[in-house]
Amino acid sequence: MSIATTESRTPPGASTHPLAGQQMMGAEMVVQVLADLGVDTIFGYSGGAILPTYDAIFRYNAKLADDDAKRINLIVPANEQGAGFMAAGYSRASGRVGVFLVTSGPGATNCVTPIRDCTADSIPVVLICGQVPRAAMGTDAFQEAPVFNIMSACAKHTFLVTKPEELEATIRSAFDIATSGRPGPVVIDLPKDVQNWVGTFQGEGLLEFRGFEKRRAQLEATRLTDEAAAEFFAMLAASQRPLLYCGGGIINADAAGALSEFARAFRIPVVTTLMGIGSMDTTDDLALHMLGMHGTAFANYAVEDCDFLIAAGSRFDDRVAGKVSEFAPNARNIAHLDIDAAEIGKVKNVSWSFVGDAKVGLSDLTAYGRRTGFAKDFSKWVEHIKALKRNHPLDYNRESPLIQPQEVIALLSRITKGEAIVTTGVGQHQMWAAQYFDFVNPRQWLTSGSMGTMGFGLPAAIGAKLACPDKTVICVDGDGSIRMNIGELETATTNGVAVKVLLLNNQGDGMVRQWQRLMFKERFSGTDKTMHMKDFVKAAEADGYGFAERVADRARLQETLERFVSYDGPAFLEVRIDPDAMVFPMVGPGAGYKEMMLGPYIKPREARDEKMGEVKADLF
Amino acid sequence: MSNHNGNGAPDNSWHVLSVLVENHFGVLARISAMFAARSFNIDSLTVGPTHDPTCSRMTVTVRGESRIVDQIRRQLEKFVEVIRVEDLTEAGPFVARELVLVKVSITQDSVTELVDLVNSFQPQIVDMTLESVTLQVVATPERVDEFLALLESHGLREVARTGAVALMRGAWGLHQAALAE
Ligand SMILES: Cc1ncc(C[n+]2csc(CCOP(=O)(O)OP(=O)(O)O)c2C)c(N)n1
Ligand SMILES: [Mg+2]
Repeated sequence: MSIATTESRTPPGASTHPLAGQQMMGAEMVVQVLADLGVDTIFGYSGGAILPTYDAIFRYNAKLADDDAKRINLIVPANEQGAGFMAAGYSRASGRVGVFLVTSGPGATNCVTPIRDCTADSIPVVLICGQVPRAAMGTDAFQEAPVFNIMSACAKHTFLVTKPEELEATIRSAFDIATSGRPGPVVIDLPKDVQNWVGTFQGEGLLEFRGFEKRRAQLEATRLTDEAAAEFFAMLAASQRPLLYCGGGIINADAAGALSEFARAFRIPVVTTLMGIGSMDTTDDLALHMLGMHGTAFANYAVEDCDFLIAAGSRFDDRVAGKVSEFAPNARNIAHLDIDAAEIGKVKNVSWSFVGDAKVGLSDLTAYGRRTGFAKDFSKWVEHIKALKRNHPLDYNRESPLIQPQEVIALLSRITKGEAIVTTGVGQHQMWAAQYFDFVNPRQWLTSGSMGTMGFGLPAAIGAKLACPDKTVICVDGDGSIRMNIGELETATTNGVAVKVLLLNNQGDGMVRQWQRLMFKERFSGTDKTMHMKDFVKAAEADGYGFAERVADRARLQETLERFVSYDGPAFLEVRIDPDAMVFPMVGPGAGYKEMMLGPYIKPREARDEKMGEVKADLF
Repeated sequence: MSNHNGNGAPDNSWHVLSVLVENHFGVLARISAMFAARSFNIDSLTVGPTHDPTCSRMTVTVRGESRIVDQIRRQLEKFVEVIRVEDLTEAGPFVARELVLVKVSITQDSVTELVDLVNSFQPQIVDMTLESVTLQVVATPERVDEFLALLESHGLREVARTGAVALMRGAWGLHQAALAE
């Protein structure tokens, strides 16, 4: 395959950039373009193959006064994976593109996990990796890795900059691709000699991608036609029990407002996926919180009961749909709005679809319904929903002398009034946080949904706090998850990032133990950490946390949480929780919602034997 | 694909996707990796330059339900470098051709028999020794299959196939259509 010239879209000389026409190093161009794009923070770790660009950042900042808003803040993690999740947290919390910058070889391969995580959750970030000089590529040079190949399999798009003249356009195009359509991560593999190359700065221009641009323009121009809206409202009119099923696409499209307006205009209840939490104020009457494997009983019952399912920015993921053929079994029609055409019909056949921006689709639906005076009365269904919420609320062991994790989250939610940004690791603590936290707004709930990457929480919290310094940012973590990137505890204090780390310590990999309990006859292979020596509070103290405490006494819980939240500065709180607490409800992997296990504390809908026996262990 | 809900009877009809791509570094690698990662069972994938130095054309042949083929098309359209994808089997009449080279063992007596046997495929003899003959056939992929099946019991030794390339019949063309608008 040959390497062709890609023309810049703008002819040289037409640029109005104040620096256009100047001679610059490639590395300087990278920094200048990033600054032009409004990047205020770069997360990253230096090394041989990226040194010229780190040097260019230093020189760029040195020219500015200490308080100049144009300065680029450099945040150095303990591990490049941390940089990636910081960039992801920054992006998830703010909607802006997160940027990370690492060296070749190990620096780049340490970024594979966050890049895949961002693809899986559709998060726009840009990663720039140094690479060995072009002439050394393919020779097994020191710190060479096939980054283009590795990242191509994981990222939304990967560039290898082989032509220095295309460097600045490549950086701009990377941002453009990351944020267009279904967002995602873009990787730029940048050989060292291209960073050192000197050429004329153009100040504008993108790479040309003909099909991509045409498809994007079409997508952006897509409005809901009146015929399609009429079909939709015919299905809604035929329905007695419509239900909105919303995912991360609503958050990404900044469509939360449009969703609430649509839901309220026609009185349609809303369930959200793990990624969609916050797309509707969780305390709203119409909000049923999360559906799926660990969804609320009332949300899952509503899915069972609905006769018209309206999927918006969601994709029938296996953690939601379980057994696909039994998902929403009474839905006579399914409508699907998504920005990604490949999601329509991928898992479940649908009767109606709109491929485009969720905000546009939902607002057009609302407008059409209002214009045509659609006023079907769903109050019986809404009453049914309210009764489900009333009769089958989440619940847990309130008698135990041990601290129950659910109560910790419920208290924390009350203390922060549903206004904190919350990040998590992966496991039981993540699910309890998803279930028991309230969120008034989108972009407050940051979790590794699709990949389920342990170690996400702490770096993501640091990134989120840097993006939103005025918000309270809490990382709810597990003792297993926090260990994965525990080095980032120090990154927060070093940089004065006032994150709050709440560790729910159950002395082990609780979620895996839960599966071992249910499917492997309590053979806790590799998941028991009662013999582990780590004193987390001492670790936090060692890393400079002014607030570093442990609470194991239920009576002291509320008071400690209040001091933890109001502490001014990075704070660490370990809560020793009941190691045997389980996450319920649970729809086993590959099971239908009919087989939902509610555990001992949630009231089932019909008096039937709640079996807790063996679930099929060969499912994932 | 593994995650479809399997409604209806499996339909294994043959599809030919013609894919016009930007002639950039690594496009083929990326696209073939996607087929592997998503477990799309493709029969053949060919790529080559076109008269337009900025474009390459890939031809993908695949057997499967049309919803899976549709899924393949949509996944292809997510690539930034993909200019246009057309399922030729759905777009209208088209021609598909594949070239195959086969090496067959021969003896002095068997040559004429062999030539008679495969005559209807209009093979060209491109190499010949006392023990072997190498034939070249250009035909539709099905005809190539038939040709090879015929030779199986007649000393077939080596096979090299190009995979199918295809164009629409008539004046209409993907390249023109994609870049004209
Ligand atoms: C990087 C990574 N490795 C392994 C897993 C599999 N896994 C899922 S949950 C879990 C246990 C997490 O333990 P902890 O963080 O203590 O959370 P808990 O379930 O105890 O609340 C594991 C090992 C994962 N999700 N991510
Ligand atoms: Mg744990």
